[in-house]
Amino acid sequence: MTAALATHDFSILYVAANNARETPLFYSVISLWAALEGSILLWTLVLAGATTFVAFRSTATLPRLATTALAVLFGMVAFFLLLVTTPAADPFVRLAFPPENGRGPNALLQNHPLMALHPPLLYLGYVLFSVPFAYALSSLILGEGGDRWLVATRRFALASWALLGVGIVAGAWWSYAVLGWGGYWAWDPVENAAIMPWLTATAYLHSVMVEEKRRLLRTWNLTLVIATFALTILGTFLTRSGVVNSVHSFTQSAIGPLLLGYLVALLVLSVGLLLWRSSRLVDAGTLGAPLSRDAVFLFQNVVFMAATLTVLLGTLYPLFAEAISGAQLSIGGPYFDRVEVPLALALLFLMGVGPQLPWHGASRATLERQFTAPALAAAAGALVALASGTTGVAPVLTYALAGFVTATIVQEFARGVRARRTLHGEGGATAFANLFRRNGRRYGGYVVHFGIVLVALAVATSQARTAEAERTLAPGDTLSVGGYTVQLVALRAVHEPQRDSVVADLAIAGNGADQQLHPALVQYPNTTQAVGSPGIAAGARDDLYTILAAYDARGHAWATLRVRVIPLVSWLWAGGGVIGIGALFAALPPPRRRTVELAVAHAAAPAK
Amino acid sequence: MSPPGGRAKGRILIGLALAIFAVALALAARPHDETNAERIDRITSELRCPVCQGLSVKDSPSQTAREMRALVEERVNEGRSDAQIQAEFRAAYGDWVLLSPPVFAWTGLVWLVPLAALAAGLALVAGRFGGAPPAPDTAAPTAGEIAMLRDRVAREESADT
Amino acid sequence: MIGRLARAGIALALVALIVILALAFRRDPHDIRTGTVGKAAPAFTLSRLDGAGPISLSQYAGKVVVLNFWASWCVPCKQENPALVRVYERYRMSDVVIIGVLYQDSTDSGRSYVRDLGVLWPTVVDDDGRVSLSYGVFGIPETYFIGPDGVIAGRHIGPIDEQTLVTGIEAIRPAAAR
Repeated sequence: MTAALATHDFSILYVAANNARETPLFYSVISLWAALEGSILLWTLVLAGATTFVAFRSTATLPRLATTALAVLFGMVAFFLLLVTTPAADPFVRLAFPPENGRGPNALLQNHPLMALHPPLLYLGYVLFSVPFAYALSSLILGEGGDRWLVATRRFALASWALLGVGIVAGAWWSYAVLGWGGYWAWDPVENAAIMPWLTATAYLHSVMVEEKRRLLRTWNLTLVIATFALTILGTFLTRSGVVNSVHSFTQSAIGPLLLGYLVALLVLSVGLLLWRSSRLVDAGTLGAPLSRDAVFLFQNVVFMAATLTVLLGTLYPLFAEAISGAQLSIGGPYFDRVEVPLALALLFLMGVGPQLPWHGASRATLERQFTAPALAAAAGALVALASGTTGVAPVLTYALAGFVTATIVQEFARGVRARRTLHGEGGATAFANLFRRNGRRYGGYVVHFGIVLVALAVATSQARTAEAERTLAPGDTLSVGGYTVQLVALRAVHEPQRDSVVADLAIAGNGADQQLHPALVQYPNTTQAVGSPGIAAGARDDLYTILAAYDARGHAWATLRVRVIPLVSWLWAGGGVIGIGALFAALPPPRRRTVELAVAHAAAPAK
Repeated sequence: MSPPGGRAKGRILIGLALAIFAVALALAARPHDETNAERIDRITSELRCPVCQGLSVKDSPSQTAREMRALVEERVNEGRSDAQIQAEFRAAYGDWVLLSPPVFAWTGLVWLVPLAALAAGLALVAGRFGGAPPAPDTAAPTAGEIAMLRDRVAREESADT
Repeated sequence: MIGRLARAGIALALVALIVILALAFRRDPHDIRTGTVGKAAPAFTLSRLDGAGPISLSQYAGKVVVLNFWASWCVPCKQENPALVRVYERYRMSDVVIIGVLYQDSTDSGRSYVRDLGVLWPTVVDDDGRVSLSYGVFGIPETYFIGPDGVIAGRHIGPIDEQTLVTGIEAIRPAAAR
C-alpha cells in the first residue's frame, strides 16, 4: 500500500482519493494513515505485531494465561481483518478507470511533518492496550484471580499509555502549528476520545501499584483495564463514524455500525465475565489510613474517574440531548475548562503528596519532614506567578502546585542519591544514574511527573497571559503586541504545483527577535475555503504566532493580521518529550545483578 | 530523625509558607473592574463560531468570527448587558451558539453529574478509612464494597445517559 | 457478591450508552437548525450590488421573499444558480421576490459573478456580515423563505434545487395569488 502511494498508483481508489501526482514523497508515504482504510490497515498490522510478540515472548513464562490471552488477541485481529475485507473499509478497491491524477490528500493533512508522528503514535497506544485487556480477560476466563497478568502486561500498559500521551501532545502540537488559531486543545470530540483512555490508563497505572504492593483493588483494576480498552474502541468509533462534529472527521464511512457492534460485543463479554467472576476477586489486605500512599492513589483514582466521566458526558451530551428532546446544543471549551481545571489541580496536588507518603499511613513527624521544603516551594511558586503578572486563581494555584511537586521530586532524587552515596559509596553522578538503573519505574515515574508539571505550567501560562492584537495593515505599517513589533513588508502570491498561496512577509523585532515570518492563506485545488498557515517564531519564553486573516485580493494593498504572543507554549512540547523519556526509564527492565556491577564500574570510570 | 529544635523550625517554615501562599492566592483572586476588552474576550469565548468545528468566536480566525467579535464589541460599547448580547445570538443561532449549556435548565444535569460522581466517589473512599495513622484498623474492603463503588459510578452514568 | 441492583445499574448504563450511540447514526452532524425559523424576519436595509440604491426588506411586506445568501468563492452556490434562474423566470411576474445577499465577498468579484452567471434578480451587499448574523447563517449557500406576514417559514442549507424552491414558495404563497 505504501508502495502504491509512493508511486501514485491511482488505480487503487484509496490512492486516487488521498494522493495526487504533485504530492511530495514524504506526504505520499504518510498518507497511509490519512484516511480510514489506511488507518485500519495500519491498526491491523500493529495488532498482528503485538500478537506475534506475545506469542513468542510470553507463552513460555505463563503458558495458560498467555494462551488464552492469545485467543482473545486473535479474535481482535480477525475482526480487523474482516473490516479490511468488507466493502466498508477495503483499502485495495481497484478502480476500473484509473484517473489521470488523484484528488490529493486533505489539505490539513499535508501541511506539517508532525502528521507523520501523531496518528501512528495514537494508534500504537490504542492497539497496545489490547494486550493488557487480553490478559485481563484471560485471567477472568481462567478464573485465576492472581496478580500475574498485571506483571506480564505492565510494560505493555506503560508503553501504550506513554505512546498515547506523547501522541496526544504531538496532536496538540500539530493543531497548534497547522490549524492556525493559536491554540492546541479545543475539547474537540475526537481529542476527548483520545484523552479518555489516557485518563483511565493513568488511573490504572497507579492503582495497579496498590494491587502489586498491597493486594488490593483487584476488581477495580480489571474494571479500569476494560474501561480503558472500551474507551479506545469508543474513540475510534467517534473518530470514524462521523456521528459528532469534529475537525478530525476527515473520513466517514459505513464502518460505524461495525465498530459499534464490536464495542457492544466487547462490553458484553468483558463486563459479563467481570460480574461472573467478581466473587473470586477478593482483596487480600486492608486499606491504609487517609494519609497514606494507598489512600492518595484511591483519591487520585476517584478524581481521574470523575474527569473521564465529565469528558465522556460532555462529548456525548449533545447527542443525548438531541435524541431526547431534539434540542441542538453545544458543549465546548468553557464547560470542560470549568469542570476539568479544578480536577486537574487536585491531581497535581495529589501528584506531589502521594510519593511523599508511606504505604499504610504517615505520622505527624513524617509529614513535617516530607513537606517543609515543598510547602516553601509552593509559596515561592505563587510569588513567581504574581511577580510575572499572572492573574486568576487557577493559574496562580498551578504555579504554586508546580513548585510544590517539583520540590517533592527534587527531594526524592536528593534522598535517593544520598542513600546510594552512603550505602554504596558511589559518586553523585553515578548514584543519580543508578537510581534509574535500579528503580527505573519509580524514578522514571518522577521524571514523568516533572513532564506533567511542565505541561501544567505551559497550559496555565499560555491560557492566562496570551496577548493578542488584530489589525489591518498596509505594506510598511507596523503593529505592536507584547513587546514585539510586527511589520508587514509585502504580500505576494506563490504558485506551487499542488497549491496556490498568498504569503505575508513580516519582519519581527523586539524581545531580542529579528527575523522574518511568513503566515499564508493556502488554496488547495480540492477545497473551496483557503486554509490558514500560521507563521510562528518559537522561543523558550514565548511564541509569536501570526495569522494572515484576510487580504486585499485585487491589489495586495492591505492585509488583516492576527498576532498572538503566547508565553511558555513550547514548554508543552518539551513536557511531552520529558513524559516520553520518563516512561522509557520506567519501562526499562532492571538489569540482572551481574550486569549491574559491570555497568556501575563502567559508569564510575568516566565520572572520576 | 530530626532533632526537636529542627522540627519546631520545620513547623514554623510550613506555617510561613502557607501564609505566603494564602496571601498570594487572595491577591490573585481580588476582584477588579473588568475592562471592555476583557468583557469582549469573556463573552466571545462563550460563543461558538458557526463556521468552525467547535472553536469559540474568540479563538477562531475565520471571517464570520471576526464579524461576530465586531458585533459584540459594538454591543459592549453601546452598554448592553451580557444577557442581552447572548440573547441576540441565541435568537439567531439557538442554544447551539452557547459553548456551555445554561446551569439553570434541564441541561444543568451536565454540570451536576460530575460533581455528584466526585462526591460519591470521595464519600465511598473516605468511608473506608477509620483507623488513626499509622495503625489501620479498618475492616478489609470486600469485593462487595468495591462493587458498590463501581456500581455508584455506573449509576451516575446511567443518570445521564 | 455484587448485588442484583448493581448488575442492573451497570447493564442499564451500558445499554443506554450504546442506544445513544446507535441513535446518533440517524443524526446528520451538518444539519444545524437555526433559531430564526418561525420568527419575524430580521429587518435590513442594504445597498445593492449594482449601485442602484438601497433595498429594505420592509419594501416587500405582503410578498413572498426568497433570501439567498451566496458568494463568488462558493462552489455549491454556482451549482444551485441554474435552479434559482429557472425559479426566478417562473415567478417573475408574480408577488414572489428573490433577493441575493452577497456574503463575505468583495463587490468586484460579486459583480463579475452576477454578470457571468446571468443573475437578474437584485443582490444586496452584506458588508459587515450583520444581516447574515441576524438570520443565523452558518455556511452558504443558504436560502430563507419569508412569508407575506414577514415570518421566516423555512430555511435550506446547502445547494438548493428547483423542486425545493418551488415547494418552499408555494407553501407560503397566499391562496388568492396562485
